[in-house]
Amino acid sequence: MTDVHAAPARRVMITGSGLVSALGHAPASVHAALCAGRSALAPIERFAVDGLSVRRAGLVRDFDARAEFGKRNPRPLDQTGRLVVAAVGRALVDAGWRTAETANAPIADPRASDGPALGLVLGTTFGSVHTISAFDRRAQSAGPSYAKPLDFANSVINAAAGQTAIWHGLAGVNSTVTGGPSAGLRAIGYAAGLIRSGRADVVIAGGADELCFESFYGYHASGALAGAGLNGAGLNGDGSRGHGASAQDDGGDVGVNGSGDAAARPVPFDASRNGFALGEGAAVVVLEAAEVAAARGATLRAEVLGEGNAFDISRGADAATATAAIASAMRQALAEAGRHDAAAVRGAQTIAIDAISSAARGATDGDRHEADALAQVFGERCPPVTALKAMLGECLGASGALQAVDLIESMRSGGLPGVRDLDVCDPALPSAVTQALAPMRRLLRGGLQRGLINAIGFDGNACAVVLGAPGRSAAS
Amino acid sequence: MTLPNGTAREPIVVTGVGAVTPVGNDAESTWSALLAGRCGIDRVRSFDPTPYRSDRGAEVKDFDPAPYFTRLDPRDVGRASQLAVAAARMALDDAGGVGAVRPGEASRAGVVMGTTSGEPLEVERFNDAMLDERLDRSGQRIVTRYPSHAISATIAAEMGFAGGNTMIPAACAAGNYAIAHAFDQLRIGRAEVMLAGGADAFSRITYAGFARLGAIATTLCRPFDQTREGMVPGEGAAVVVLETLSRARARGAHIYAEIAGCGLSCDAHHMTAAHPEGRGAAEAMTMALTQAAVRPEDVSYVSAHGTGTPTNDRLETIALHRVFGSDVVRRTPVSSIKSMIGHTMGAASAIEAVICALAVTRDRVPPTIHFETPDPDCALDCVPNQARALPVQVAMSNAYAFGGNNASVLFRTVEM
Repeated sequence: MTDVHAAPARRVMITGSGLVSALGHAPASVHAALCAGRSALAPIERFAVDGLSVRRAGLVRDFDARAEFGKRNPRPLDQTGRLVVAAVGRALVDAGWRTAETANAPIADPRASDGPALGLVLGTTFGSVHTISAFDRRAQSAGPSYAKPLDFANSVINAAAGQTAIWHGLAGVNSTVTGGPSAGLRAIGYAAGLIRSGRADVVIAGGADELCFESFYGYHASGALAGAGLNGAGLNGDGSRGHGASAQDDGGDVGVNGSGDAAARPVPFDASRNGFALGEGAAVVVLEAAEVAAARGATLRAEVLGEGNAFDISRGADAATATAAIASAMRQALAEAGRHDAAAVRGAQTIAIDAISSAARGATDGDRHEADALAQVFGERCPPVTALKAMLGECLGASGALQAVDLIESMRSGGLPGVRDLDVCDPALPSAVTQALAPMRRLLRGGLQRGLINAIGFDGNACAVVLGAPGRSAAS
Repeated sequence: MTLPNGTAREPIVVTGVGAVTPVGNDAESTWSALLAGRCGIDRVRSFDPTPYRSDRGAEVKDFDPAPYFTRLDPRDVGRASQLAVAAARMALDDAGGVGAVRPGEASRAGVVMGTTSGEPLEVERFNDAMLDERLDRSGQRIVTRYPSHAISATIAAEMGFAGGNTMIPAACAAGNYAIAHAFDQLRIGRAEVMLAGGADAFSRITYAGFARLGAIATTLCRPFDQTREGMVPGEGAAVVVLETLSRARARGAHIYAEIAGCGLSCDAHHMTAAHPEGRGAAEAMTMALTQAAVRPEDVSYVSAHGTGTPTNDRLETIALHRVFGSDVVRRTPVSSIKSMIGHTMGAASAIEAVICALAVTRDRVPPTIHFETPDPDCALDCVPNQARALPVQVAMSNAYAFGGNNASVLFRTVEM
């Protein structure tokens, strides 16, 4: 075998993005809503929340599958499948792989075109825990012969990725990755690796989770939701495991009409934070080998410069190891970015990061672990930090991908969303980090040339990705 | 597409194997049982199968997770995680135990696991409570224990692996997807050592699903036989330890096999039925062969997906004929261990990876049992009923899944 070990890895470009979220269904309008500090939270009407103390979430609104998909029947798709099919369709149009007219046209033969087979890597927590639960409940209550075969096909965790491949004719690599709220960003790193290693040329990557009764009830019962008013064993306020006191007072803060919503403070990094709010959505980006994008004259939106992924073996119970895992993921991503960033000064120890999209969700411990890790990595010079979950809630598998899509919008607009409702920064957090936070949108002087995204799971998974703007200047 | 066959970086090798299967609670006893042609399929024990047309299941028997746990309490995790930790512990011990991960290297030690269903027993528990109107705080387990990444997270927490942690629920091809991802992570330098494999637990949900698809055999699982009537759901876990050849040699590790190449594709055709011409399956095999720079005639053995359903085995045969050519494929042994251990879902291709690694090391291949009547639609040498001794230079493991996922992995002998 010839040893071409030194062959440079391929560069990975982002040529399009698409999303379906509670704040809108186009990256630019969602970015405007985030910059305006609009909250996605609204009363839950899709499923029953009687008797629960929290009854608000960031559910996708104004999404009509029949209008979205034209003549094609969305019936084989569950909610997660519909969100993903729509987000991927929009991204393919944005990237120029499909036109608005052909995006949802039936694909006779996905192998008929001369172009590269398009791949898909989807991050999710559950796929659809509602679909698998409903399948089993029907089998249990009516008998196994009454359970619906279509529900079974959709009950597997990779169903949304498979359904999306069928819908859009994606015959390349098709994979799904789980990990909780880290999954959507891990999917982007995974997909970038597929392109760098030559296994794929074009991969759509991102994340999705629907919110349903089963997942909402589960997180509510865990006591991790802001305002859920539960203490004790199980998930702590940050979603980590352990038997410590959580931040909520049991019952004392229950708000109007018995609802905990009034006492809910799902505000990242705020001194009063007491858990997170839940959201849902789907977001993807189109990743493409640089030469493939160049050959077809695609518009470049960003470049994936580096990825890091680490695991906290205490799964949130030990602050030192939790912080170390998050810092490790960021350092890996920065180091890889330094190697891949053709515009960076060769030999530079670090590349300059202009903004950070944080994974903070309002969790008592989790937010602190991330803030401490930011201070460890960036020292006293922490770049401006935003935390989109202040507006969108914790969208689980979609979160990291939503952050990536919005960071690309920030590269275009130069504006970084603020942290809605941030009132008093937690004095226990490193001052370098709290000084990097703002409640309102900021204009980044010098623009956003390189940004870092964190996505952190509930039980130990930490991912970081560094994106670079096209046409950025060399780093110092 | 440019496959990375030209970028001949360092070989990635298997240095440890571990498995818990319906025919043995470790890799060695599984290997002996499979070579002896022993069947692990029996009447379902973990729930009452009376409401179903079939009562056949391939469950892991007499499994005690306790010996494999040192940091966590096995009662705090689901059955798939228990099986996975056992397989991972045995694989790591086989690779040299904690010595396989040098001091200070924990952050470069990663885990990639595959599954079909994660911990579906937690969905059953949630539903039982909901249908009995006694849903309470324990309902939180549907978010703390059910999500499939609990499997890879539990392994990492138990083994102290602080590097990248990835769960790939690519259904019945998940084990191969996990191995391919670990392979890529090592090749692009994101890790020093990886645990990769798959795990699934026996569940009434999976059983009801395959029953509704009419896919479960009522008597025997007999892949490639003309009278075959279906698959048999199973459970299990398997893990391999992967690292670079130079690292393995430097620490004097026993090397089973090189992962010579991987191929991944998607039919983009149907959720539960394979492409009628086996195109995606053929593409995955071709990619793996290209990456490994191996010609079809150099493949010594194929571990088939071979579920035993009429359709799968026929289409898989078509795909094999497409890739190998009919002359070559007829003289290539192609067997399905699912005839003995059923379809262990996300664990299936991980168990088959262990078997392929052992086949390459020991120059023996397991049979397809219960084979009686040749099927002209399955014109293959399926190693009927008796294990065979033959030089195994290259073994190919194929896996196909719901969602149209196809994954092939090639194992190659390593000269000592």
